[in-house]
Amino acid sequence: MFDALQGWLSGYIFDWLAILITLLVQAIVVIMPLMLAVAYLTLAERKVIGFMQIRMGPNRVGTLGLLQPIADALKLMNKEIILPSQSNLYLFILAPTLAIAPAIAAWAVIPFNADGVVVSDINAGVLYVLAVSSIGVYGIIISGWASNSKYAFLGAMRASAQKISYEIAMGFALVTVLMVADSMNLTEIVNAQKGGMLNWLWVPLLPMFVVYFISGLAETNRAPFDVAEGESEIVAGFHVEYSGMAFAVFFLAEYAMMILISFMTAIMFMGGWLSPFEGIPLLEDMFAWVSGFIWLVLKVSFLLFLFLWFRATFPRYRYDQVMRLGWKVLIPVTIVWVFVVMIMEYFKFGPWFN
Amino acid sequence: MTFLEVIFYLLASIAIISGLMMISIKNPVQAALWLVLGFIATAGIWITAQAEFLGLVLILVYVGALMVLFLFVVMMLDVNITQIKERFTAYLPLGILTSIAIFAIMYMVIGPDRYGVDQMPVPKSMPADFSNTKLLAIPLYTEHAYAFVLAAVLLLVGIVAAITLTLRRRAPSVVLYQDIDKQVKVQRNDRFKIIKMDAVVEEDVKPIDEDEEGKK
Amino acid sequence: MLAFLKHQFKTFTLLELLKGMVITGKYFLKKKITVRYPEEKTPISPRFRGHHALRRYEGGEERCIACKLCEAVCPANAITIEFEQRDDGSRRTTQYDIDMFKCIYCGFCEESCPTDAIVETRVFEYEFHERGPSIMTKDKLLDFGDKHESQIAEDRAVDAKYR
Repeated sequence: MFDALQGWLSGYIFDWLAILITLLVQAIVVIMPLMLAVAYLTLAERKVIGFMQIRMGPNRVGTLGLLQPIADALKLMNKEIILPSQSNLYLFILAPTLAIAPAIAAWAVIPFNADGVVVSDINAGVLYVLAVSSIGVYGIIISGWASNSKYAFLGAMRASAQKISYEIAMGFALVTVLMVADSMNLTEIVNAQKGGMLNWLWVPLLPMFVVYFISGLAETNRAPFDVAEGESEIVAGFHVEYSGMAFAVFFLAEYAMMILISFMTAIMFMGGWLSPFEGIPLLEDMFAWVSGFIWLVLKVSFLLFLFLWFRATFPRYRYDQVMRLGWKVLIPVTIVWVFVVMIMEYFKFGPWFN
Repeated sequence: MTFLEVIFYLLASIAIISGLMMISIKNPVQAALWLVLGFIATAGIWITAQAEFLGLVLILVYVGALMVLFLFVVMMLDVNITQIKERFTAYLPLGILTSIAIFAIMYMVIGPDRYGVDQMPVPKSMPADFSNTKLLAIPLYTEHAYAFVLAAVLLLVGIVAAITLTLRRRAPSVVLYQDIDKQVKVQRNDRFKIIKMDAVVEEDVKPIDEDEEGKK
Repeated sequence: MLAFLKHQFKTFTLLELLKGMVITGKYFLKKKITVRYPEEKTPISPRFRGHHALRRYEGGEERCIACKLCEAVCPANAITIEFEQRDDGSRRTTQYDIDMFKCIYCGFCEESCPTDAIVETRVFEYEFHERGPSIMTKDKLLDFGDKHESQIAEDRAVDAKYR
């Protein structure tokens, strides 16, 4: 579809301009629904946490509070962006941009359905997602430093140390996926999981699935790993000096990363857009009409619900406990499991290596 | 000019400008950030040259981990800039000389004589699903396995050395340590006891006799 | 050894975390107890300490005798009282101001009042947008008392045996 657009455009204008416009259109097609999803994820979070605390959650703006995110956005847009004195203004303004850019850029390689519904189907997709999301640290670290505030600085230090620690466990968890799926292309990883729910990678790699999701929680600085913004200790962490839309951009980045992590988990461990009833005689026909995209969205919604469920359930870790969990528990577990998978792969052990 | 050329010149100019800014800017934190930008631009150039694995690893390792640690150190240290800049002009001639020497050596080693356009043919344009990760991995794990293992051992020694250097336990009277393993293992019964006891019922408060004032 | 294995089992199966999630999961499905305020209201105690009021005797004479006990006891110094002696020798206030911005609704004025003149009512839905109207003068307080007298009397009667 986009190739056709590019071909049609290049009949009228320069080739490079045609490519640029096509890329922009592709980006908008991905970003607009993403931003909408982020907006409604904030509402879902407040609703779910409210329900778990036997409250209602927001229910005043629109029916069931459905217009709440829009009201919030309007409020934030109208607020003044306060520039703290003695802060580094260029970096202060740059930091939110640096936070949200990687969170959006990573979506370029996420496949949404079979038949290559993806902006760019590159063969090192997993590595690309890892690399781009690792740039997200800079938004946090720069915001902390440029704010000229000790709370922001401490929050930034905590957040970035936590992020780069958990990236290692995350990377190891992905290595096992690559070993089993035999590819770094996200579409091929999904295709390698064909053949019913038990062929999805969460079965052979259950510990890695758990480790990846826990690392994902820590990567996005979500509860119970939200020491970076521990309200009781350091006010709000790295974005304490930000207000109005600058704060909203950090917020968007955090939630976009949450959705991204959920998508990655769904694609790599839960069979992406594959139907869970594949291979089951009656159910497969009954649900044949459901598009792969809907299955993917359902899986992602479940994972996002887990994010919110965790937040409503667990108290915050202490900072040294977070570091201990990352370095002394998750990394050894992943290293051991890499070797286990290696041996299983070598001896063709188990029904999934055929 | 093709689209790829536009991208190349954009990334190349970013890389050069950020390199110059990195060595000329006064604030060490900003210098580190310019270096990060230089890394990203370089990684972009590598990806346009079909070395996407190397480019992404450059971002992952250098930008994502190494420079963050570097920034940590620079931010924490509170470097006194004026002190560093004091002898700047005195060292300038020596610095220029050194940089010219390094540039000359680099020109001789990787100059057009060895890696020029006429020496190196234009790389074949590979199909989109071509994986150069595999292409890199095969010689690394077969031909150069020995060197690869040696490098890994060297890194391990480095990790061990760094940990032993920083790991020093002081007397408990000086520094209090928390043993998280112990803390995690604590059970409910270690901390408090639930005791069964009879409920104490308070006596009802007797209403005051209503006199004239109480009745209002 | 057994304890060690038990601990490891518990750690790696994340049993305790799952238990916690089961609890929040149960609450997720429970009936919500939120009271939707403007439409629904929670029951209010007769001892509720809301808006102040000055009361009158049944004959119409104001109860306050300007003893200034409330002014003395007020921890926030919110009450200002001036008085005069009437021709019949009784002592009455000329000014009785409560600064509602200062007031912390502790109810001490009500406790200290020997004639039950100053009371705090159940009314809590009121607001001020600027500084002037926030000072409740004697007239306003008396009017307020007249308006809510039936409710005030009822509340005092319920609470009388405990005072």
